[in-house]
Amino acid sequence: MKLLIADDEPAVRALVHVTLEGDDYEILEAADGVEALEVARGEAPRLVLLDIMMPRLDGLEVCRQLKADPDTSDIVVVLLTAQAQERDRDQGLAAGADDYFTKPFSPLALLNMVERVRHNQSGAD
Amino acid sequence: MRRLRVQLTVLLALLGLLVVAWGAAIFLAARDAARSNASLQTTVERVDELRRAATRLSRDFVTMETTRRAYLLTGDEAARQAGARAEESAVRGFRRMRQLSDRWRSLLPLVEGVATEYRAWVRTGQTELAAREVDARAAALVAARGNADRHFQALWRRQTDLEDQLARAQRASARSQDRTYETAQTLAVRTALMMLGALTLLATWLRRAVGAPADALRSASGRLAGGDLETPVELGVENELGAVASDLETMRRRLAGRMEALERLRHLSAQVVGATSLQRLAEVVLDGLRPEVGATRAILGAARPGGDLVLRALAGFPDPGVADDIVKADADIRQVLPLETLRAGQVVGLANLDRLAASPALRDLVARMGIRSLALVPLLSRGRFLGLLALCWTERHPLDREQEALLGLAGNQIAGAVEAALRLEEAERAAGEAQAVFYAIADGVLLTDPFGRVTAMNRALEALTGWTEAEATGRPYAEVLPLATEQVDGPVDLVSRYGRKVPVAVSSAPIFDARGRVVGGVDVIRDVSKEREIDEVKSALISTVSHELRTPLTLIHGFAELLVLRDLPAERQRSSAVEILDASRRLARLIDDLLSVSRMESGRLVLDPRPLDLAVVVERILSPFRAMAAKHTLRTKLPTSLPVVWGDPDKVEQILTNLVGNAIKYSPGGGEVLVTVDADGDAVQVSVRDQGIGMSPRDMGQLFEKFYRVDREEVRRAGGTGLGLYITKRLVEMHGGRLWAESWPGVGSVFRFTLPTSDELAGSGR
Repeated sequence: MKLLIADDEPAVRALVHVTLEGDDYEILEAADGVEALEVARGEAPRLVLLDIMMPRLDGLEVCRQLKADPDTSDIVVVLLTAQAQERDRDQGLAAGADDYFTKPFSPLALLNMVERVRHNQSGAD
Repeated sequence: MRRLRVQLTVLLALLGLLVVAWGAAIFLAARDAARSNASLQTTVERVDELRRAATRLSRDFVTMETTRRAYLLTGDEAARQAGARAEESAVRGFRRMRQLSDRWRSLLPLVEGVATEYRAWVRTGQTELAAREVDARAAALVAARGNADRHFQALWRRQTDLEDQLARAQRASARSQDRTYETAQTLAVRTALMMLGALTLLATWLRRAVGAPADALRSASGRLAGGDLETPVELGVENELGAVASDLETMRRRLAGRMEALERLRHLSAQVVGATSLQRLAEVVLDGLRPEVGATRAILGAARPGGDLVLRALAGFPDPGVADDIVKADADIRQVLPLETLRAGQVVGLANLDRLAASPALRDLVARMGIRSLALVPLLSRGRFLGLLALCWTERHPLDREQEALLGLAGNQIAGAVEAALRLEEAERAAGEAQAVFYAIADGVLLTDPFGRVTAMNRALEALTGWTEAEATGRPYAEVLPLATEQVDGPVDLVSRYGRKVPVAVSSAPIFDARGRVVGGVDVIRDVSKEREIDEVKSALISTVSHELRTPLTLIHGFAELLVLRDLPAERQRSSAVEILDASRRLARLIDDLLSVSRMESGRLVLDPRPLDLAVVVERILSPFRAMAAKHTLRTKLPTSLPVVWGDPDKVEQILTNLVGNAIKYSPGGGEVLVTVDADGDAVQVSVRDQGIGMSPRDMGQLFEKFYRVDREEVRRAGGTGLGLYITKRLVEMHGGRLWAESWPGVGSVFRFTLPTSDELAGSGR
């Protein structure tokens, strides 16, 4: 299964890599919002992990655009944010995000979530 | 001056004497009359008695004659006896006649004549009788009879003479009585005429000495009563009435003087009404009262609500500095001031201050004021004690009652004006205060009339709106104060005349007059751009800090969890541990930087400056970099001799380390890092040049802002808190230096800063 991790922090991308390593995931990376949008449209990943605070285009906007585009609206969007306030969560859900992780997040919880998405997909297929 | 009384006494005494004389004259005349009347009466009575006796005698003569004749004719014995009885009666009659007439010598011969004739007649009669008895012869008889008749006729003549004589005497006495009465009457009438004359004289004199002056006095007092104080009162007499007139004249003069003084007081009160300040009032009052009482200086004190007096104005003092002396001696003055008496409205005259000044301080004060006497005039308005007017004389001056009364009146006259002046001053002060507050207040204030038109605006609002008060006055307030708001209850922006938007907080209130009617409105407009900016900065900072803290925390948490729960290959375990270590360092550095920023911003970061040789510091900080940075060439360009700079060694090292660290960090391709130190006037300039990625002009603008990081992958990869340059710049500025940068994307950057030399005073206090 293809998934995209978009975060301006290389170490965070590394963390996601290590978390999902060895489970037959194809992990794509993007360092900012614009790049994330390009990769998502080009590679059509099943799931996108989006950091909200990113240069050039923030995660919420990426999410909104992905959900607005019929080609990409099926992609499961999970937001990662360093901001734990209610306001951010509401904004994220309003932008059409499917799930929401607050930094610091648990890699195993992330793994569980990704597994669930894969099973749903295989169930649906 | 007792003349009138003496004159009157003398006159009355004379009058009394006259009355007594008149009475005596009448009394004496009456007594004389009475006396002569009594003697006349006796005479008359005797004359009457004599006449009666004479008449009886005559009757007896007739009886004797008739009986004798009858006897002679008839011989009747009875007739002879009757004749005898008549004879006896005649004898007694003669005796009586002699008795009665012994007082009148003129009568006695008459009576004796009658008696002689009688005797002759009786003898002839007896002869006749004898003739009859002896011989009744007719011849003898006839002869005898002829004799007897003759004698009888003689007797009868004599008797008639007597009676005539008596009747004459009776008439004479009556005449004499009448004469006595006439004399008394004449006397009484003359005396009465004299008295009438005297009374007329008295009346004339009274009219001249008393009546006319009394009339003049009456009309003079009438004039006075009628208010005519112009005409003098003069009598020209020198008695008691003249004295009364001269008293009246004195009274008139004093009254006229009082009236004149009152008139001048009226002028004074008219003038004081025009005096709006207490100072002016004191001068006017002094000018007005000087001609009346001679005082040359005046002090005006006003009562405070607490009851003590405050000096408010001086007039006529050559040295105004006396005011300070009076204020200084306030406590001593208060001790001797008869406040209770003054409060009761009583003017107090202090004629001899030399004796009165009890304390040395007061003696000094009195000497410095140069006065000898004082009059304290209370100023009462509708019973309220407003203050005190003290009039001063440079010489001794005891107040007389008239002046005291005048000053009391003057006090009443000017009290109203004093009250008005006090009120006015108070109102002006309050208005001045209000105006000063209005214009000085930092918030914008706008006053409007009930129709919303601007009546006043203060300086702060002029600055906010761009309108001047003169331009704005009379315009609708919405034109001067256009407010824009995006949502109800949201933040409000004021749009200035030139389109600038200023976030404001507005509070408005109506202005009421005393009767509760709205007479206008007040709007207070506070420029809250600072507050809003601070709010925005604060929330941005919190969000940034939270983000910056959570990122390393995420890494630590994430890799640690993987290490604990996942069975990672050994190589992965190691790289995860390195990530954790890096993240921990980053976290620690972030916290250090945040604390530095906080200390600097709150002023708690204190420099410990001392003279420094920058060449030495540069060499010292470069050595660890040289050990680490393999790809970079670190070079220095130091002159042989450098001025000593003034700086905190640790902080200068921090500045240099940050700049050199950045130069290495942002030239990932390696290259040369050149550190140059040069003397630059009063300062030493240090520049750090790299051949790194460089920056765009947009980035340069925000380079020194907190948490600003150039938005590039290389930068992100290099890590960093976004606080380094901010802190560095602040540190340089704290030393009194300057930090700036030049950069060309893809070519490299130069960061330069200056530090003052030790000759120059460093900003060590920051």
